[in-house]
Amino acid sequence: MTSSNIITEDDRYRTSTQFRLWSFTRDSLNAVRTTTNRLAADRVREAVRRAHEALSSADASDADLENPSRGVSAMPEREIDCLTVEEELRLVTFYCRQTLQLGDHLLFPTQVKTTAVQYIKRFYITNSLMTYDPATILRTALYFATKTENHYCKLTKFAEAIDKTRPEDVLASEFLLTQGLRFTFDVRHPFRALEGAVMEMNGIASGVIPYNTDVGERPQNMGRRVKTAHGKAREYLKTSALLTDVYFHYTPSQIMMATLLIADQELTHWYIASKIFLDDLAGHKILATLAECACMLQAIEPTVQAPPEERKAAGALSKKLKKCRNPEKIDLVALQRVKREGDGKVDEKIIKKRKLEREQSAKEGEDLFGPSLKNS
Amino acid sequence: MAVSPLVLPGAAEKGGPTAKSKLQSAAASSNGTPNAAQSSTEVNDVAEQMNEDEKAKYVKGKKLGEGTYANVYLGHISSSPSSLVAIKKIKVQQQYTEGMAPDAIRELKFLQELSHPNIISLISVFSSKDQNINLVLEFLPMGDLEMLIKDTSGVRYGMADIKAWMGMLSRAVWFCHENFVLHRDIKPNNLLIAADGEVKLADFGLARSFSDPYRLMTSTVITIWYRPPELLFGARQYSGAVDVWSVGLVFAELVIRVPYLQGINEVDQIAKLCMGVGTPTEENWPGVSKLPDYTVPAPPSPVMGIDHYLSMFGTVGQEGVDLLMKMLIMDPRRRITARQVLEHGWWSSDPRATKNEDLPKKGGGESKVAEDLGRRPGMVDDERAGKVARKLDFGGMR
Repeated sequence: MTSSNIITEDDRYRTSTQFRLWSFTRDSLNAVRTTTNRLAADRVREAVRRAHEALSSADASDADLENPSRGVSAMPEREIDCLTVEEELRLVTFYCRQTLQLGDHLLFPTQVKTTAVQYIKRFYITNSLMTYDPATILRTALYFATKTENHYCKLTKFAEAIDKTRPEDVLASEFLLTQGLRFTFDVRHPFRALEGAVMEMNGIASGVIPYNTDVGERPQNMGRRVKTAHGKAREYLKTSALLTDVYFHYTPSQIMMATLLIADQELTHWYIASKIFLDDLAGHKILATLAECACMLQAIEPTVQAPPEERKAAGALSKKLKKCRNPEKIDLVALQRVKREGDGKVDEKIIKKRKLEREQSAKEGEDLFGPSLKNS
Repeated sequence: MAVSPLVLPGAAEKGGPTAKSKLQSAAASSNGTPNAAQSSTEVNDVAEQMNEDEKAKYVKGKKLGEGTYANVYLGHISSSPSSLVAIKKIKVQQQYTEGMAPDAIRELKFLQELSHPNIISLISVFSSKDQNINLVLEFLPMGDLEMLIKDTSGVRYGMADIKAWMGMLSRAVWFCHENFVLHRDIKPNNLLIAADGEVKLADFGLARSFSDPYRLMTSTVITIWYRPPELLFGARQYSGAVDVWSVGLVFAELVIRVPYLQGINEVDQIAKLCMGVGTPTEENWPGVSKLPDYTVPAPPSPVMGIDHYLSMFGTVGQEGVDLLMKMLIMDPRRRITARQVLEHGWWSSDPRATKNEDLPKKGGGESKVAEDLGRRPGMVDDERAGKVARKLDFGGMR
């Protein structure tokens, strides 16, 4: 049991799935997203072509029932205007905001909301919005996060608390979600790291914890500044850190330090310098990494509500999405039933009935947060 | 390493038309899509394709056994038929109508993260076409510690062997705690033995991450014979100390070869604890009487001293008895931590721990693998019926 056998905290982080499976360079992340988007767009065009073929070969009266979506006949046969990678990303961000708001509405703890948002972001690396409806996936992700984060909530209660949601709607895409998450459910957040740093800085401010005097005196009014920085950093962690790609590119401690830098650069520099020697190559690298992370964080306003322009853009993109959705993947409840029972012939009538019901409710309610969007 | 590093999905079709047709044939075998017209031309999603690739790496062989929670199959790596694995197929639970069951979620969540020689390793995860989840686990054919303990006529072992097993268990528990994971179901039959004698902590169906301050946890975890007093008294905030108590009772059981505190229910378990360790009181554990379910039989029994432990557990020596007593300190704040356990003097005192290859063995065989992996968490075997841990009360966790 010599100390040399004990692996470092960094070594241990590198064994986590967050590092092994969910950390990317910017190029590699972009490559996966591009492939996902291209495959999905091809499939949408294929599916619409098939639907048109089925339409033209069937009786007009029968066709309404046979074809998966009311949207198909409205879709142009050849050129479907699919979402680009960039557009998908912006919409994902918008639906992640919706998830945070839904989580607030249901009074879920931060841990549940933040994990759910990362599930959604991870899911849409290898799945496209054009294939799986984000309004559905977000409910499933939020519910699934209650299970993985030990905040158990009865499914029926959860469904009841959300408009136009049945328990089976939530469960139908659970398997898809877990598969998209590659069956890894642990998300490492930067919140505890922030609490640790703040406790230490408070200790230094009040003189309880000694500090390295080589780096000069403590910043003026340190206690008050730590308190302010804590609040501001936390705001960034609860919003920008979740909505940008920082979780895919940086470790939780880097994200935490970057939010502190944004909150109070002078204080945070002093704090880091009191712990690590910064005037060498390694030190410069650390500061450069933190600066890059801070820059990425600042690309999205630290608010749960989307700013008006973003809202407006998302509204337009949502409309565009409606026109390029894969018609074969709209009724997830029916698809799920067929998969579980493993037989395409089962309950065809029920599937049709459900489709009609869903279309009906879709007409009535549009989607989860639809109406307010349309107004903007 | 549970899952191979992310392979760029684009690589699959860079090969041109031939590679593309491969995608399609894989899809046809795995997807029951609603109508025939669709399934004939179905192409996999990127996520589905990754799953197919993972699945293709393993061959599922004969069923080794069937449990309430999972079926266990023998399997091997496709490219290497001699590399055996156990494939645990989680059953879809009919009575659980809220999607993927919490025990499966917990097990997956933690085994994906923890890689350590003394923790069963999860090699891969994939889903089969009926959407059942398959865990590919390392094949541990030599049974578990409970089998060795119970076979008093067939298996003989001594202090050095106990030290080896306890060392491996203690390292596993330390590693869990170091990663902020509470196992919450440590007991001899969750300690599996590999072909090379290495002990592996298994069954993470009750595990959870350390709670944040002020967030409550359920107290109804850990099979009752191994459940610490704070949980028996209904504490909703607790620490790694709960696992250390269980480790202490595994230690005691390894020595006397029967469970040290065998209660028939929770009330009786408290009574056995008071007799075998001592009655928890405000004197030996300040604050204990404020725990929600605190009740102890009168009159209180004194806390057992070193003489009692030496007479019962003396075969592990003075140092060993000292370690055991520290693991069984009733006040969880004073109980030894997993890290302090590893720093204890017992490990470096004579005799040294037996080398793995020299440890007593008892061939468990394939049926035992199935039994070990198919059990529901928090339960004792049927033959020990009546002492079953309560099922997790998820409703009470809020």
